[in-house]
Order: sequence, then C-alpha cells, then structure tokens
Amino acid sequence: MGTNAFHSQQKWNLGFIVFLTLLLVLLAQISTNLTLIFVLGISLGFVLQKSRFCLVSALRDPILIGMTELTRAFLLLLGISILGFALVSWGASQRNIPLILNVFPLGVHTVVGGLLFGIGMVLAGGCSTGILMRIGEGFAMQGVAFFGLVVGAVLGERSLITWRNLFGEWSGIFLPDLLGWVPTLILEIAVLVTLWQLAKWWQKKQLGE
Amino acid sequence: MARFTIEIWGEMCPIPLIKAKNKLLSMECGDILVLETEHSCTSRGIVVWAKANRYLIEEEEVANGIWHLELTKTHD
Repeated sequence: MGTNAFHSQQKWNLGFIVFLTLLLVLLAQISTNLTLIFVLGISLGFVLQKSRFCLVSALRDPILIGMTELTRAFLLLLGISILGFALVSWGASQRNIPLILNVFPLGVHTVVGGLLFGIGMVLAGGCSTGILMRIGEGFAMQGVAFFGLVVGAVLGERSLITWRNLFGEWSGIFLPDLLGWVPTLILEIAVLVTLWQLAKWWQKKQLGE
Repeated sequence: MARFTIEIWGEMCPIPLIKAKNKLLSMECGDILVLETEHSCTSRGIVVWAKANRYLIEEEEVANGIWHLELTKTHD
C-alpha cells in the first residue's frame, strides 16, 4: 500500500475548526463560565487523544503484561492533582472563599460499584473518558459501551439511596481536617513515591532486566 | 526466518497483545510476526511492550487509522 491509501482530512479539520470557533463565539455571548468549561473540555479531549492516556491499561497492564509505564503516569497525575488542589484550597482560604468539597461517605457499596465498573471497563476497553475519546476516533463498539455507561449511571444514581441503607456507610474523611495541610501533603506524596518505586520494581521483576 | 501472521483485526485492547505473546512462545529466534490493527492504542501498546521486552519492532501507519507492525523475535 502506498500513500494513496491515505485520505486527506484537511477538509474535516477546517470544518470542525470553523464549527468550534462559531460555537465558542456563540457561547461567549451567553456565559463566560460555559465558554471556559467548553475550552477546557476540548483541550482535555485533545490531550487525552494525543497522549493515549488510558486509565484501563494503567490498572490492567501491571497484572496482565507486567508493564507499569502508564501506572506511573497515573501516579504522577494524582501527585500533580494533589498539589494543585492544595494550592486552590490555600488560595481560597486566603481570600475567604468557601470551597464546596465532594467528600462522600464510604461503604461496602463503594467497593461493589468500583468492582463492577472495573470489570465493565476492561470488557469495554475504556473508562468513561476513554470511551468518549474513542467514539471521537470513530469506534462503533464504544458507542455501545457509552450506551451501557449512561444506563448504568442513571440506574446507579436512582438506586443509590437503597444501597446506602442496605449496606450502611461510614462518613467520609477529609485528611487535611484531621492532620492539617502540611502533614497530609507529606503523607500523600510519600505514599505516591512508595507506589512509584513499587511499580518500577514490579516492571523490572516481570520483564527481567 | 519464517514470517507469521495473527488475526487481530477488530480486537479490543488487551487481546491482541495476549495473542501476540502466546504466538511468540511458539516461534524461533529471528522469526518475524506481522500484525495489522485498526486500533491506535493497540498499536502503541504493542510497540511500547515490544521495546520494554527488547524485541525489534517496526510500526507503520499504512492508511488512515491502520497500523502495520513487524515484530522480530530477537531472543527467547
């Protein structure tokens, strides 16, 4: 096969750029917040697609093929988010802006739901962002997976109260409230570094350097 | 220097890699395994995996969204 097997996608690219620009201009008239969220969403999608970041393979590959490259990328992501979040809450407290924290109660249903989602994402070949990204790339099968994701999310949201009452739950813990910000950061980063070293050791052991 | 092919067209992410791994076990040193996939993550994943395992790998995008891989088994 030569280069003639390639179809130029320039027309599509141009079309989508024009469409996105017009949509952004339109959104900017309505709300700045929406525009910013939309720009963030588009950029996130772009980075996800180009970087091939895949949460499924980050969690699956160490066990299946003994590779931990993406697992370590995931740990790095967590570390950066923790530092970023600390910065945001520090900035908010300096300016006396109250933060709405999503600290959720934990129970057996959390573990059961996590397991169900885990099985589903390995079968579907993508977590929620991965599925969205692959629909964008043109995979039809992920369209089916997306349908399943929506059905599951709606069912889960509707029946959450039942599971909470059935299994019981412990209230969520927000570590900085218990330990203070600095010890929490040190503890969390230390845990991540340990996991990083563990992942490195695991790959060396599995692939035999 | 035999050439082998396995059918991984349309397979989701971990399956092509597992199939390739199993096929490699039955191959001699110097044999080449030819793979073709339409799944970009699969192609990327196999290349990274092959490099980590010190196999020779050549990746070429032969058409929009179709990757042709040639993996040489350099050691047991």
